[in-house]
Amino acid sequence: MADGNPPPLRSFAQAAQAEVEVQPLRVVQIEGLVALKIIKHCKECMPALVTGQLLGLDIGSILEVTNCFPFPSRGGEDEDELDTDGANYQLEMMRCLREVNVDNNTVGWYQSTYMGSFQTVELIETFLNYQENIKRCVCIIYDPVRSGQGVLALKALKLSEDFMELYRSQSLSGEKLREKNMAWTHIFEEIPVKISNSALVSSLMTELEPEAPATQCDFDRLVLSTNPFMEKNLEFLIECMDDLSMEQQKFQYYYRNLSRQQAQQQAWLQKRRTENAARRASGEEPLPEEEPNNPVFKILPEPSRLDSYLITNQISNYCSQVNGFAGQSLSKLYLMDAFHED
Amino acid sequence: MASKFWGNSDSESDEDSQLSDHDEDEVIIGGEEAEKIADKYRIGGDSDSDESDDQRRVVRSAKDKRFDELAQTTVQIQNQININDWVQLQESFERLNKQLEKVNRLTESQVAPRVYIKGLVLLEDYLNQTLLNKEAKKKMSPSNAKALNFMKQKLKKNNQLYQADIEKFRANPVSDVESDSDDGENADDVFSDDDDDDLPEDRPEDLSDDADNPDDGGDWTSAQKKPKEMFPKLDPGQISWEMVDKKLKEIIVARGRKGTDRAEQVEQLSYLARCAKTPAQKLEVMVHVVSAQFDVNPSLSTHMPIAVWKKCVQNILVILDILAQYPNIVMDETSEPEVENETEKGADHEGPIHVWGNVVAFLERCDDELFKSLQCIDPHTKDYVERLRDEPLFMTLAQNVQQYVERLGDMRAAARVALRRVEHVYYKPQEVYEAMRKLSELQSRSGAAAEAGVEGEEEDGDVAMKGVTETKGPASFVVTPEIVPRRASFPSVNRKLMDQLVTLIYKYGDERTKARAMLCDIYQHAISDEYYTARDLLLMSHLQDSVMNMDISTQLLFNRAMAQLGLCAFRESLVMEAHNCLSELYAGGRVKELLAQGVQQSRWHEKNPEQEKLERRRQMPFHMHINLELLEAVHLVTAMLLEVPNMASSMHDMKRKVISKPFRRLLDINEKQTFTGPPENVRDHVMAATQALSKGDWEKAVEVIQSMDVWKLLGKREAILQMLRGKMQEEALRTYIFTYSPYFDSLSLDQLMTMFGLPEAQVHSIVSKMMIAEELHASWDQPTRCIVTHNVEPTRLQALASQFAEKLNVLVESNEKAFDARTGGGGLEGMGRRNRDTQDYADAAGGRRGGDFGGGRGGNKGGRGGRGGRDNFGGGRGGRDNNQGGYNNYNRGGQGGGGRGYSSGYQSTRYQDAYSSVGRTPYQTGPTAAGINRGQQAADAGGRMVSLSRMGSRF
Repeated sequence: MADGNPPPLRSFAQAAQAEVEVQPLRVVQIEGLVALKIIKHCKECMPALVTGQLLGLDIGSILEVTNCFPFPSRGGEDEDELDTDGANYQLEMMRCLREVNVDNNTVGWYQSTYMGSFQTVELIETFLNYQENIKRCVCIIYDPVRSGQGVLALKALKLSEDFMELYRSQSLSGEKLREKNMAWTHIFEEIPVKISNSALVSSLMTELEPEAPATQCDFDRLVLSTNPFMEKNLEFLIECMDDLSMEQQKFQYYYRNLSRQQAQQQAWLQKRRTENAARRASGEEPLPEEEPNNPVFKILPEPSRLDSYLITNQISNYCSQVNGFAGQSLSKLYLMDAFHED
Repeated sequence: MASKFWGNSDSESDEDSQLSDHDEDEVIIGGEEAEKIADKYRIGGDSDSDESDDQRRVVRSAKDKRFDELAQTTVQIQNQININDWVQLQESFERLNKQLEKVNRLTESQVAPRVYIKGLVLLEDYLNQTLLNKEAKKKMSPSNAKALNFMKQKLKKNNQLYQADIEKFRANPVSDVESDSDDGENADDVFSDDDDDDLPEDRPEDLSDDADNPDDGGDWTSAQKKPKEMFPKLDPGQISWEMVDKKLKEIIVARGRKGTDRAEQVEQLSYLARCAKTPAQKLEVMVHVVSAQFDVNPSLSTHMPIAVWKKCVQNILVILDILAQYPNIVMDETSEPEVENETEKGADHEGPIHVWGNVVAFLERCDDELFKSLQCIDPHTKDYVERLRDEPLFMTLAQNVQQYVERLGDMRAAARVALRRVEHVYYKPQEVYEAMRKLSELQSRSGAAAEAGVEGEEEDGDVAMKGVTETKGPASFVVTPEIVPRRASFPSVNRKLMDQLVTLIYKYGDERTKARAMLCDIYQHAISDEYYTARDLLLMSHLQDSVMNMDISTQLLFNRAMAQLGLCAFRESLVMEAHNCLSELYAGGRVKELLAQGVQQSRWHEKNPEQEKLERRRQMPFHMHINLELLEAVHLVTAMLLEVPNMASSMHDMKRKVISKPFRRLLDINEKQTFTGPPENVRDHVMAATQALSKGDWEKAVEVIQSMDVWKLLGKREAILQMLRGKMQEEALRTYIFTYSPYFDSLSLDQLMTMFGLPEAQVHSIVSKMMIAEELHASWDQPTRCIVTHNVEPTRLQALASQFAEKLNVLVESNEKAFDARTGGGGLEGMGRRNRDTQDYADAAGGRRGGDFGGGRGGNKGGRGGRGGRDNFGGGRGGRDNNQGGYNNYNRGGQGGGGRGYSSGYQSTRYQDAYSSVGRTPYQTGPTAAGINRGQQAADAGGRMVSLSRMGSRF
């Protein structure tokens, strides 16, 4: 619908069939109400991380999120029970919503995060679960802590197609990744979020807008304290470093074993060849050079790169946070400086 | 007949026959009625039935019949021999015995018939033949082999009864019509070889071939070759050159054969030597005597009997005598001993005579045997001391051999011999050397006192042995006067001897010889307290780089030299150097193994017996041991002196730089103990001292350390204890400052002086050094004689940031390592390192050490040149380091004024340079870690910088 040409008149069935060419998802359009609901839910349960369902419509390149509901927070006792409870709740909720004739088409889920530490295997798996049923799904991430600094830390994410393919085939070895030219940056795709309100709501908001030119949010932005946030970020970074080192050790270990094994294989082959030569000389049948049962030829499992990719993503996330934050802080400091001079 | 059969079967039951009864009766009973009875019993229808059929046809007297049966069986045996069927042979043999019994009953005599004896001889010969043929034995079927073994035992037992008869038969086999030409082949050979001038009948003992038969009882076989009987009827004067030559060849041929009595061979040969006609022949025989003597001990792991060894040395001396007396006789390994009759040429022969042999090899073998015997003998017994007294004898021999080879102009061989001599001297301090010299003099005097005369004189006054040699046989024809001196000339100072030998080796030796000589030289210098000479030798020779590629024994020698160098450095109060020398030895906790002073039980992997045997063969004899307790004490004390202040300085630091890992480990163990008793061993002492020292209680620490027993082993005990006391005071002061300076605003100089009992100048210098090295953030306040501290605590964010930077460093390091390992290019270091980790001991004895000492230089080089290919990496890293440093400086700068930050930064780089220019100081082990750590060390160790550069200037 972006291209102004009205589609030719067709039957619905025709239209449904004709829509083979899938337009890439460009924008996630969130209803203001939904955004507020998400923020409210996430903020209320702050220390705990919560999730909820997103409902809405998928129109061309725009994914409209028109409604959402939170999942009951997990007590953390019996997992099985909770899981079934959660599923039941979800179904029940959907049914109820359908009954009152609200959009009940699932388009993804939202979750809160702490300092942007959301790049986990669980997220990927959940995403793939959703992806099975819904072609276009999205994950909205809200970071209450960052929002405390006067930014609306709302993000819509999806996994890239390439990555999903690779992940499904479980081939996250270095070679495959290289083949696909897949870098760590290519795992997640961030989709721009657009918040839209109905005209009615907008007019109400204008009506309600206070006289004062500055809001609380604006004041929050001017807080000069930097330490807690930086410290937290650094701590996370250090943790990430440790994780990354661990991953690296895994790889080193793997390569060490690999080279050792290769040496063994060579030795074995050498031996077998001389043996064969001897056998041939004495007129016997040469032994096969391949022996799948030989433990020397057992293929060593290559450790998955996924973890290191995710950690790298995480690191880059922290870094950008630090970067952004430092930039803001510096400008604030300069501002303060200027004030002091006056 | 039947009754006889039954009776027979009764008597036969005594023998452990494997035949069933009915088999026997088939054979024994010839008559038709018996045949019928037999038929009843017969189950299998044996091939034997043919034979009983044959017997049936002939009608003869009972006696004839029995004889016929015997003959029949003998023929059968012959047939079975031809088809190598031992199962059948066994049966036949038993049948033969039973038949014999019957024959004897008939003839009522105890003499075995000739036919029977022939059967036995046949069997015996074939048995021997089969036993000798290992291949065939292996190929036999199990039942056949079993039968063979059975036969072997049976026949041996049985034949003893008929010994005399067998010999008679062998002596005159021809009397038997059917005598086989192929039986007793060996017998005939040896027998005809054995004697040229005597009839076989005269010497029945000489007639058997059974010297070759290992299974024979031997009581009658081995006696026949006694030397006296060799030319029994001859006056020694009648023996001709040919006879001796022939005899010699005979004996040589027998050499190495199974069943040859080695000791006896030696006797025979020495007898021959006495009979030898010409000097050259005597020499030839002597050479063989010596080789035979070496053969006396067949196993590699045990040593040769000491008496034999002594005789052997004497024999070699005689060889040298001959060689000295007749310079025209040339001994080399190239001449063919078999072909030419060179040795026939008499003493008056002009021109060279070639004799096969190699004195140097003999000498080396002698040395090895001496070494082995010292390894084997329990060092706490008198035997060991006795054995050690043989060393001068060996030295004499070695000296003579060396002189001989030098005379020949074979300098390479001379170098080899010289090395052997060096290896007997290098580990001896002057006192021990002196003792050896005296002993040698004493021995030669007593030797001179003993009567001199015939050859074979034992110079160490072994009268009993002399008696034996004299009573044995006649005096020799070729009298060899003792030309070669029987006493080694030892210079009064061992250094002199060492220098003389080592110079020769450096000039002419091959690589390995030179390397070993160099190591011995270093060792010798180290024990005579010449640290700098020893160290320079080591560094100049670059041995630490190449020693990994050498054989294990050289690596062991290297380790020993390093250990001594460490001890020497300690005696010279060079704590750091001592620790560097010793730390590698103690890094793996395998000191014993590395020094070959006892086998260490390793918990992790069991050694297989093969490895263990090898290791045992490498062990050093006890008198060459380096005292492990002293070594450990020195190592731990030096580690303590370095580590205690280091620990105090990095107490709150996240990056804990560890100087001595083993020490830290011990300390951890010690701290984990719930209850610490009074110190008992070296470790306990050092740990107790460490505890005290880290609290600043130096007096207690000194007391504990000085109470150790091991210091008694050091020469200048008092001086060293004094030195230790001083060092500990200093380190206690440093520790105190490190630990407590954060809690003070200022420290009084006078207070410190009284606390640590140090003079003002020293305290001042120590504290100033610490300030310069940025270990202590403080400044002097001269008027009040105070140290004013500037304490800055980094904020949490700063701490985190530095921590983060560190993690990043680690990551980059390991990334580079991984990169190295993958690309392989610059990764040689990395690979080497990895190999070193996984290597097992076989290569590791020196290999592990390679990283050090050498590594000090290699590491530096690696840090700069080796990384050239990836300069950007290195640069980046360097940059980061600087940043860190800069950050610290910045911090301090905030407090202490702008200038300081700059100056300290400058200093730190300068020191770094100074460090690399000193270069030789082995500081780094890990080549890849060199980059960062060097920087850190430059900063941390700057306190010692002054002393180091002083040292550097002495290089």
